[in-house]
Amino acid sequence: MNPEPFLQLDRVIHEKGRLAIMSMLAASPELSFTEMRDALSMTDGNLTTHIRTLQESGYVSVTKSFHNNRPLTTCALTTAGKKAFTNYINLLEQIIRQNRR
Amino acid sequence: MESNWAAEHLQVIRTLMERSALYRRALAPIMIFNGVIGIVAAALGWRLRICPPQAFIIYWAAVAVAAMAGSFLLVRRQALRDSEPFWSPPTRRVMQALLPPLAAGSMITAGAFLRQAPVHGLGPPLTELWLPLSWVVLYGCAIHAAGFFMPRGMKLFGWAFILGGCVLLAAELAGQSAQPQHFLYSHAIMGFFFGGLHLAYGGYLYFTEQRRNAA
Repeated sequence: MNPEPFLQLDRVIHEKGRLAIMSMLAASPELSFTEMRDALSMTDGNLTTHIRTLQESGYVSVTKSFHNNRPLTTCALTTAGKKAFTNYINLLEQIIRQNRR
Repeated sequence: MESNWAAEHLQVIRTLMERSALYRRALAPIMIFNGVIGIVAAALGWRLRICPPQAFIIYWAAVAVAAMAGSFLLVRRQALRDSEPFWSPPTRRVMQALLPPLAAGSMITAGAFLRQAPVHGLGPPLTELWLPLSWVVLYGCAIHAAGFFMPRGMKLFGWAFILGGCVLLAAELAGQSAQPQHFLYSHAIMGFFFGGLHLAYGGYLYFTEQRRNAA
């Protein structure tokens, strides 16, 4: 069996919490911090840490604004993030195909 | 082994992507609000004997506008409370799903409103009940379409409108000639479907949402 696809998996995305964030952002143009926190049942601190890691890798952009005089933090996938996520999915599919043969 | 792990990962990703697209606002207050409006309006319409088709249409169009305005306010209040944008992608998707059947209903209503004489082949809109039952069926279609982006039984709720409306329409079309007193049934139909069903579903959601939040 070729271990190559498994070794190529992006370690930043591969972590469970960050994979969940990337998956949610891949399905929406943008999501607010509270939407993600509620949907993923994460604590504020946990979510902030994961988002910071993804932001430092250039996969997620974070926008801070005010909505009706209340702070609103929204996240979205960057072009690099979309590409990395697509690669990750392709590698998973490749692993499945390889093991079926 | 690795294959199973990868397949599970893909399944998790799929589930999360679907969850991200779901509309998550609490629906119980919206359903209860619409149910109360429906029942009160039906009782009032019956009591005031609003029977000419045009008056009936204007009356229920005004009720629909009030119900929609109230629902939007409730959704906006929830969005403000959660510090989230009102016009979020899931809200947009739900609105896009609701729009075609509601637009069809509006156009049929406009046609019935403009043509005061009995519509050829269909008869008077109220004495043969086809107009309120068309609203019921089309509203069910709208709810069912929106149910693809909403959790928890919304599609089933849509089916209740569609099936109930179709059964009554079929029974009416197969029945005897139009009865002038049928306008009273029109209000009863509106009250049952738009009042009673909303209220029942709202009550169900109220208790199940509370239980889920407590868990």
